[in-house]
Amino acid sequence: MPDEIKHGVECTEFEALVSDALEGRLSPARKESFEAHRRVCGVCGPLFADVQAGQQWLRALEQVEPPAHLVHNILAATSGVVSTRPQVARDGRTTPFGERLRERWDSFSASFFRPVAAFVRQPRFVMSFGMIFFSFSLALSAAGVKPKDLAKVDLRPSALRHAYNDTQIRIVKYYDNIRFVYEIESKVRELKRANTPAEPGPQEQKENRKNNTSGQPDQRQDRNYSQEYNQPVLAALRAGAPITPVLHNGVVDASPAAVTTNRRFV
Amino acid sequence: MEEAQVVGLLVRRCVGGDAAAWEEIVQRYHRRIYNVCYRFAGDSDNAQDLTQEVFIKMYRTLSTYDAGKGAFMTWVTTITRNLLVDHFRKSKGDRITDSLDSAPSEREDAQPLSEQIADRALPPDAAVQSRETGEMVHLALQKLSPELREAVILRDLQDMDYREIATALRVPEGTVKSRINRGRAELARLLQRTYRQVM
Ligand SMILES: [Zn+2]
Repeated sequence: MPDEIKHGVECTEFEALVSDALEGRLSPARKESFEAHRRVCGVCGPLFADVQAGQQWLRALEQVEPPAHLVHNILAATSGVVSTRPQVARDGRTTPFGERLRERWDSFSASFFRPVAAFVRQPRFVMSFGMIFFSFSLALSAAGVKPKDLAKVDLRPSALRHAYNDTQIRIVKYYDNIRFVYEIESKVRELKRANTPAEPGPQEQKENRKNNTSGQPDQRQDRNYSQEYNQPVLAALRAGAPITPVLHNGVVDASPAAVTTNRRFV
Repeated sequence: MEEAQVVGLLVRRCVGGDAAAWEEIVQRYHRRIYNVCYRFAGDSDNAQDLTQEVFIKMYRTLSTYDAGKGAFMTWVTTITRNLLVDHFRKSKGDRITDSLDSAPSEREDAQPLSEQIADRALPPDAAVQSRETGEMVHLALQKLSPELREAVILRDLQDMDYREIATALRVPEGTVKSRINRGRAELARLLQRTYRQVM
């Protein structure tokens, strides 16, 4: 970059002022010379425009919502006390599999029903609807009702009452079985927890850290992404490699970290 | 009560063995940490693993946090950042040399000025409305070097101030500003190039 002085501001100085200029923190006099330089300099003008455009792109990115089971997994991996507050969605009958299924469904429904009215698009609404339908069909199939049977349904009141009683008995039996499975499952979980103690509490660790008074997390100092950090690292885009708007092509294929996380915690 | 006081109290209760206080900390910070990890690592699976690692590390070292030496969020960001460095090294350390060898920004500068100016006719804020554009920005972010990526994530997505970022990254404030500007400019060029191909 040529270090020319235009309107009392050097190019290197201009670069250093870009952040402050974007945030409106330049004094009026400084701002005037900065603007004048921006208008006439063939290097700094485009640079400023790029920085500004990049900032706008980034600020428009929305926050993503973490998966519903993340807090549960974090607590299970740390204190071991999974939840101390009442949760509507997780009432003990929802298994981790159910949660994953629910997330898949959430993301599927979110993309599938995009053009429909906003309230229908709400994953919670779609989920509830889906779950109602699912439970209903599950109950029906458990009770032995097949779609083709509906064609020859006897609609006489006495026959209906008989069919109702019959179905109710089968459903009650089915749910008794389900409850038995859940009871076994929770016992197994309790046993597991008893055998694998959770992370020791913070106070227990304190003893080992008497000499650490830095108030900073335990770490190697000055960590960098590159082992030889003397060279400047710029953006890593190979020649002629454009980004395509297709997610799975562009996503960096980072291998999953081999650590003791339990995304699939039971 | 101020945020710092609330968090300080939560940390003390948590160190004293209060599980509810720990859950409160997790509830307060998991979204933020997950977002940093997601934008940095690029995908949800890695972001979940990393977020969990951050909290495991936090839980183990919570008693070393000193409120007098800085904001809790800065402390948390330092932990997050260190784990991101480890993750980056583990997953694609070998690509660092590639990125250095190709020195892409020189080619960027070699782009004719007229072309660069023509690119800027794009209206970013109007286009960003769409989800597809969001995905494109997210992908472009993955193409930035980790140093530039983390700097813009902390500034433009997490809204941390330069001093906090400098503390978390352990580099001077001037370096932080320079990285943020280079990251933003690089991102804009990548997106302009993408749009030129798409349109
Ligand atoms: Zn200039």
